[in-house]
Amino acid sequence: MRVKIFRWKAIGPLLLFLLVVGLLVWLFAEPIARDTTEEVSTELLGTQVDVGRLDIIAGEASVDLRALQVADPFNLSKNLVEADEIRLKLNPDALAEKKFVIERFALRGMRFGTTRETPARPVEGEGFAPQALRQVRQWARQFDVPLLKLTPIDTVRQLVLNPTQLGTVQAAQGLAARTDSTRRALDQGFQQVDVRGTVDSARAVAERLAATNPRQLGLDGTRRAIEDARAALKRLDQAKGRLEGLERQVNGGVDLLGAGLGNLDEARRKDYAFARSLLQLPTFSAPEIGNAFFGQVSVDRFQQALYWAELARHYMPPGLLPRQNTGPDRLRASGMTVRFPKEREWPSFLMQLGQIDFAIGGKTPLTGAYEATVRGLTSAPALYGKPMVVRARRSAAGSAIASIDVDAVIDHVRPGQIRDSVAARLRGVALPDFNLPGLPFRLAPGTGSSSLTFALRDDRVQARWAIGSDQVTWALDTAGRRINEIERLVWRVVSGLDNLSVDARMTGAIRSPKLSVSSNLDRAIAQRLKAVVGEELAKAERRVRAKVDSLVAERVEPVKRQIAEVRTQAQGRLAAEQKRLDEVEARLQAELKRLTGGLAPGIELPKIQF
Amino acid sequence: MFAILKLIQSIIKTLHSEGTPGQVALGIALGSVLGLTPLMNVHNLIVFSIIVLLNVSFGGGMLGWALFVPVGFILDPVFHAIGLRLLEAPSLRPLWTDLFNTPLVPYTNFNNSVVLGSVVGWLLLTVPIFFAARWGVARYRATIGERVRQSKLYKALTASQVYNWYRIFRP
Repeated sequence: MRVKIFRWKAIGPLLLFLLVVGLLVWLFAEPIARDTTEEVSTELLGTQVDVGRLDIIAGEASVDLRALQVADPFNLSKNLVEADEIRLKLNPDALAEKKFVIERFALRGMRFGTTRETPARPVEGEGFAPQALRQVRQWARQFDVPLLKLTPIDTVRQLVLNPTQLGTVQAAQGLAARTDSTRRALDQGFQQVDVRGTVDSARAVAERLAATNPRQLGLDGTRRAIEDARAALKRLDQAKGRLEGLERQVNGGVDLLGAGLGNLDEARRKDYAFARSLLQLPTFSAPEIGNAFFGQVSVDRFQQALYWAELARHYMPPGLLPRQNTGPDRLRASGMTVRFPKEREWPSFLMQLGQIDFAIGGKTPLTGAYEATVRGLTSAPALYGKPMVVRARRSAAGSAIASIDVDAVIDHVRPGQIRDSVAARLRGVALPDFNLPGLPFRLAPGTGSSSLTFALRDDRVQARWAIGSDQVTWALDTAGRRINEIERLVWRVVSGLDNLSVDARMTGAIRSPKLSVSSNLDRAIAQRLKAVVGEELAKAERRVRAKVDSLVAERVEPVKRQIAEVRTQAQGRLAAEQKRLDEVEARLQAELKRLTGGLAPGIELPKIQF
Repeated sequence: MFAILKLIQSIIKTLHSEGTPGQVALGIALGSVLGLTPLMNVHNLIVFSIIVLLNVSFGGGMLGWALFVPVGFILDPVFHAIGLRLLEAPSLRPLWTDLFNTPLVPYTNFNNSVVLGSVVGWLLLTVPIFFAARWGVARYRATIGERVRQSKLYKALTASQVYNWYRIFRP
């Protein structure tokens, strides 16, 4: 019997099945794509993304997104961006390779900072964006912005300090331990160099040669004696090399201990500040006042810029190595999905050109029409070959905002040369009111200017946030309590000012940058405080310093002496060993000269056959 | 409970179909891919079409699917490890790179560790599954098959309308 291989009668049901599958895809593609877009965007950005409607226009290879809302991850009751319509024109060839290359991106009806009807839910989990958000918040907490204390000076209050509370004492103990270990390491180093053994052996050779007469040795004996002398000189050279190495080690170790002493001075400054805080002394240092007034609000701005820069660095990595991401959510395990970029091929995601034409409606100061372009937003900058460039402009003299200029360059094309920078300048903008931390004063800057520049070069950050206004108004919010005399003094200073100029800068390694804030307020307040309570404050300061110094000195001074001893001993030993080596070397050279009859040491004697 | 009943129904119908033990075993071996690998993938549509179009036991295919779903879940960590090792192998990187940049191929999700590992796992297991299933079906029919055929449960099952629809795909 012939076995049938093909089941012809099943073709009909199979086609019917495929038709049903196709119908289901056609019916549910848009809702599924909308849900997937929301889910993936939320995961990628670390903040809730809502899409009101998604239309797939298959004939034009386009996608229309309507009523898009992106929540602000730092303020969940606000939207970072809201857009009425976004039209994405996709490249069909790239789509065949499951790559999303957006040829054109058109956006209409864009609004910033709108209030959400319902607060966004915070994005939790172990995705990159939530982790980055947590890390950035943790990063922001490293800036210990002290509150400004404007309490009257209490000249009677006793300062009670426990030495264990002082960072200098702890640092001194650590430094003492390091000094001991450095001393031991140097002792071991001197033993390993073994100058004594080399010098003794060279001296023995020199003495033996001194006792010989070249005429009695004959040519062969003289040659052997010369070889012995040269071998001893070579050993001396090697010992000198080792000694030089040890000298570098000594200098390095001593320098480290010196740096530790510098840290003690830094710790002592912190201890002074700690002790001052116990007495609640007001400060008239302008940098401290500036940090206290505007430090937190500056850090808030910088942490937002850093968060978006971190996302850009993660999603736009340089180079062409395969990249792994967690696979899709499903009943089965997600696994890892690996992307394999290839030269001269499409990246997995690319927005070649985004044109944004948006209007901000209503009666807010931001009302107006804006234009912006985005070029080269891609998941593989090395394939695109050019940095991503963002430009946004608005110029409308006489309106609520005179001008907005935003320029950003995200350059991840080459590994090792990662450069991100953004510069935003707003002129004639209504600046938000804010309370001065720790004080019953509310500041309304009115209409002014604001600018933010943020640049990341590999792991170095350089950022500046500045605001300026000449329409400042002040409000006193005592909330039922009486303000004290120093607060009243400060109030008289600030309430007389109608202009504000704040300049916050952040520089250094991204892990621990330095923040400095200055403003015309802190300079004015510092001058006034100094004039009125300066003498009294100086006395209290001296008392604080004396108390800290008395506690710290008994721990620090022995450490300083130990370090000085280690330095002196090590350098003395080095000099002595060097001197011994030089002496025995000179002696050997003299013997060598005598044996060679005044010839230069490098000249070989001819070998004579007997 | 309903799923278990359907599974029993499927097992009984398949074992008593007119297909040879080889046809039933081939159906089970092909159907096992639907259970071993993540379902919503292009390769599963292809294998399903093969089960329908080739003269193998359709019931066997569905039985293989049902039997290997739990096995797939259990073996996911193994599949992930196999797939990741293959995707990270430097010697295979040119192959994956070419495939990843070839039209339509990325829609197979071959670049997901669980999908690749489970497909490779299925390819390795399919021959043992086929021979084990063929031996099992033959042994069943030779031993207790006839007694089950005479039972009231079997007659009730074969009398249902579902069975008539099922006969279309019977080998």
